[in-house]
Amino acid sequence: MEATVLDSWVLAEFSTPDALVTATRQMREKGFEGMDTYSPYPLHGGSEALGLPPSRVPFIALCGGLTGVATALAMQTWMNTIDYPLNIGGRPLLSLPAWVPITFELGVLFAAFGIFFGLLGLSRLPQPYHPVFESEEFRTASTHGYWLSVPQATGTDAAPVMDQLKALGATQVTLVTGEKE
Amino acid sequence: MAETASTTYHDPLEPRPLVAPHHDDATLNETLLDHVWRKPGKGWFMLFGLSLSALGLLVIGVTYTLARGIGVWGNNQPVGWAFDIINFVWWVGIGHAGTLISAILLLFQQKWRTSINRFAEAMTLFAVMCAGLFPLLHTGRPWFAFWLFPYPSTLGAWPQFRSPLVWDVFAISTYLTVSALFWFVGLIPDLAALRDSSKTKLQRTIYGLFALGWRGSGRHWHNYKIAYLLLAGLSTPLVVSVHTIVSFDFAVSLLPGWHATIFPPYFVAGAVFSGFAMVITLIIPARKYLGLRDVITDRHLENMNKVILATGLLVSYGYLMEHFVAWYSQNQYELWTFYVNRATGPYAGVYWLMIACNVITPNIFWFKKCRTNIAIMWVASIAVNIGMWCERFIIIVTSLSQDFLPSSWGIYTPTWVDWSIYIGTLGLFGTLFLLFLKFVPAVAISEVKELQLELKHAAHQHGSDDALAGAGTLTHGAH
Repeated sequence: MEATVLDSWVLAEFSTPDALVTATRQMREKGFEGMDTYSPYPLHGGSEALGLPPSRVPFIALCGGLTGVATALAMQTWMNTIDYPLNIGGRPLLSLPAWVPITFELGVLFAAFGIFFGLLGLSRLPQPYHPVFESEEFRTASTHGYWLSVPQATGTDAAPVMDQLKALGATQVTLVTGEKE
Repeated sequence: MAETASTTYHDPLEPRPLVAPHHDDATLNETLLDHVWRKPGKGWFMLFGLSLSALGLLVIGVTYTLARGIGVWGNNQPVGWAFDIINFVWWVGIGHAGTLISAILLLFQQKWRTSINRFAEAMTLFAVMCAGLFPLLHTGRPWFAFWLFPYPSTLGAWPQFRSPLVWDVFAISTYLTVSALFWFVGLIPDLAALRDSSKTKLQRTIYGLFALGWRGSGRHWHNYKIAYLLLAGLSTPLVVSVHTIVSFDFAVSLLPGWHATIFPPYFVAGAVFSGFAMVITLIIPARKYLGLRDVITDRHLENMNKVILATGLLVSYGYLMEHFVAWYSQNQYELWTFYVNRATGPYAGVYWLMIACNVITPNIFWFKKCRTNIAIMWVASIAVNIGMWCERFIIIVTSLSQDFLPSSWGIYTPTWVDWSIYIGTLGLFGTLFLLFLKFVPAVAISEVKELQLELKHAAHQHGSDDALAGAGTLTHGAH
């Protein structure tokens, strides 16, 4: 049987979103990497504090939209012009203006799928388990708590990191260990 | 309501608070989740029972229609489209306000949308479901409805893509799908909040399942913010396209009263008009029952009434232009339809009810007293919904019943099956809506919390907490 790979995180709660953003920025300046913030709503300046690159969702959406447009044009041309041409009141078999509505709708539909599945894919959701859920206090992250997680090699001494977080104003600090995601 | 005596106003244009000033994240959470956790009251059960009974009518109506065929409906030559299409257009139109509130107001950074968008999006979703039933049944053999989609069938035929009816299939199914995705994406953080404040293991498991493991991670929010904004950006042209395509079903034909180039904008305005009215109709009792007056304030209601006034005027302009163009064309059939048949013909009562509800009623909202009086706006919103139903009746039935040749004229009367299916969809809508109010937060909690923080920041910049009331004109976006 494969041995379970463990993953550890130091969790620190802050009392306000601003304190969390400031602490994140300072921890990153100290050289910590792979950190993550947790909050009930997006933090202003949160992405910058974590140093995240621009999101790839818009690019995926664009690809989805273009795929939809191309699919719709190809589908209508193939079906009504080539495979099953019907003369309706003498109108041209390749009547592009009449194909605009479906082209638009499919473009929107595929772009929306791109956004939705892009969001889930980039966030690796659905993911019912994550080591941070090991902490019962962490449940406030979705209601009124502002948390920072710092990755910690399993089995090493977390005390220095915890002290630094406390010095930055964390109201409580814990260490969680769980199966690697 | 949420206004307190100590509130001083910094901006006379934004006189009322969007979120009652005494809340923080924890209390907002409690207030907004309360209606999910507490047992539903008597009122909820009564309404639910009523809705279920109406839903029963739908089951009876649909079963009878399927067993006997659509001959049991009142429509026949020359009125081949009647309740089925009237109700379809009516329901789709109602759905449009939800998207408008969520998407267009988000893009315009109108902060007052935050408390009502979830509610309105749910309305959209359920209204479009009701709408979808009608064309499905209207096909006569709904079990062959998949014939509408292009699939490689043994018949060897493909759909005729130059027909607006095929455009409709794509528009409505896209609209339903995108609305559902938009609603669900907005719901994910709140489902996580439900999971994390649930008291039993079962609740935690079920909400946890739907929350997809959302943990409010900054890395996720990073993608989420842009994804939500893009979905809003896509929904905005989508909602305009959907009712435009619905109006093409009529405008592309040659029938007097249908064949008009003003139809697309006029239909979109009418849709927004009826949709906002439906939001008012539903939100007034709901906010009372759910105890949400702190976040759905009088200012929200007043703003919605302003939208009703504006779109009501657009609709009136549409009527005016239809009549003008009929006169300007000097075409005898057009003149007959607009000046004789509609205004004095067999359905004149419905026509004048439409004028009273859609042209006259919204004008009461010029007066602030009417815009802020709960009873008046509730009655007016119902009048608008009736008026917009009458409008679709007038467009569809009068034009079909008396068109070109008097020898082919005919009168349409709905049967009990028509009525029971219509009332049945009201029941379906009510049932879904009540279940929504019971199991899901009716207000987008994460967005309200974010708004609350922004308002607080603005208040500090103004150097006074009282600015909370006037901070609605803040320039940076909710997302």
